Amino acid sequence: MPGIDESLLEAMRLPGARGASVVDWISGLALGAVGDAPGGDAEATAAETAELARLATESGVLALTGGDDATGETAGDGPGGPSGKEPPVQDLIITNADSYHLLRFVTTTFDSTVFVHLWLDRSEGNLALARIRLAEMADRLVLG
Amino acid sequence: MSTPTLRTDEPASALLGTLAAQGATGALSTETGIVYLAAGHVVHVESAVTPDLGDLLTHSGALAPDGWWEAIDQAGRRCSVGRQLVDSGHLAAGALELCHLGALFDAAYFVLAHDGPALRFRPGAAHWLGAVRSVPVDTVLRESRRRRELLHRIWPEPAVDRAPLARVPGPDAADLPARRGRTLAQVNGVRTAAQIATALACRTFHTLVELRRLAAAGLVAPVAPLTSGPSSAPSPAPASAPAIVSAEPGPTPRPLAPDEPDTALLRRLLHALEAL
Repeated sequence: MPGIDESLLEAMRLPGARGASVVDWISGLALGAVGDAPGGDAEATAAETAELARLATESGVLALTGGDDATGETAGDGPGGPSGKEPPVQDLIITNADSYHLLRFVTTTFDSTVFVHLWLDRSEGNLALARIRLAEMADRLVLG
Repeated sequence: MSTPTLRTDEPASALLGTLAAQGATGALSTETGIVYLAAGHVVHVESAVTPDLGDLLTHSGALAPDGWWEAIDQAGRRCSVGRQLVDSGHLAAGALELCHLGALFDAAYFVLAHDGPALRFRPGAAHWLGAVRSVPVDTVLRESRRRRELLHRIWPEPAVDRAPLARVPGPDAADLPARRGRTLAQVNGVRTAAQIATALACRTFHTLVELRRLAAAGLVAPVAPLTSGPSSAPSPAPASAPAIVSAEPGPTPRPLAPDEPDTALLRRLLHALEAL
């Protein structure tokens, strides 16, 4: 069963991977990080991506439109699990001229507010493949 | 061989730095909690105002209470409850690490952010949870300071963190993010932030963030303001108004000393005694 470090090292085996981390989007803390970070500063990267992730996850307009998502208390009657545990947003994808940033929210039954951040080289990375693999990795991290 | 217990008036952060440099193992107590070190790294932190790992796992339904107690029975004595939870298949390794780090940094904020004196250091003392993931002392100290600044940037009114909280009538509370809405639903004029965190099985710092955002939005205010802080709410809250919106009437208002953190502390003492 993979822990945080094993999961991040697995993500680093994807083509073009430059760095990977697990970040708490409320506190902005990196709970684990491997490889490089933009500007060489993993803490600043965690704090800034956390703010972006928080805005996305708290946004009404970016959320799943299936249910009545207008009332905070009844939102997220998803299949299984207590209401509100499923993040309203699954991934954030940011592209620039030389790299991709892929953020995948992690779902847990207990209180955690984390996502996995994968930084990929644009010329070597495969965004579609990385998105699928990162989602699988995030599930295995908490389900074993 | 253990040296005698220290008695010191040094701030906890300074002593932790020294202990880290020495590669020390043991438990450092302050007035607000206990920091466990192994080979100079922080392996666990406990605070009376934050839910512990067992609370977070069992109250959320991530782990059945039987599974938790079984692991304590089987591995508490040899200080490897964490490993037992994973080896017995109750919890994935990553889930344990995420929950443990969440609880560790949460408790560390309340033990270290307002740097009180260290009371004593028990060399060699180990926590019954055992090694899950260790964190450098520097990282824990830096993160605790950063969290204090983060709260201050959101809403510079520390009374929100300690006083019983009440909803402010008037402002529209619809369209809140789910997490903030769940937090607001627990505000009843009686509960403090720590009690709301316990009721939600959420980390206390993360609950403070939501409560300070709610205070900044004029939706929540301390019941008995210690000072006349800035009030952005158009309609000021009556100082001693009972719960304005509450699913249940709740117990009669008590004096400021919250009782739920005390039961949490007692339960933790019980765990520790049973693990001996």
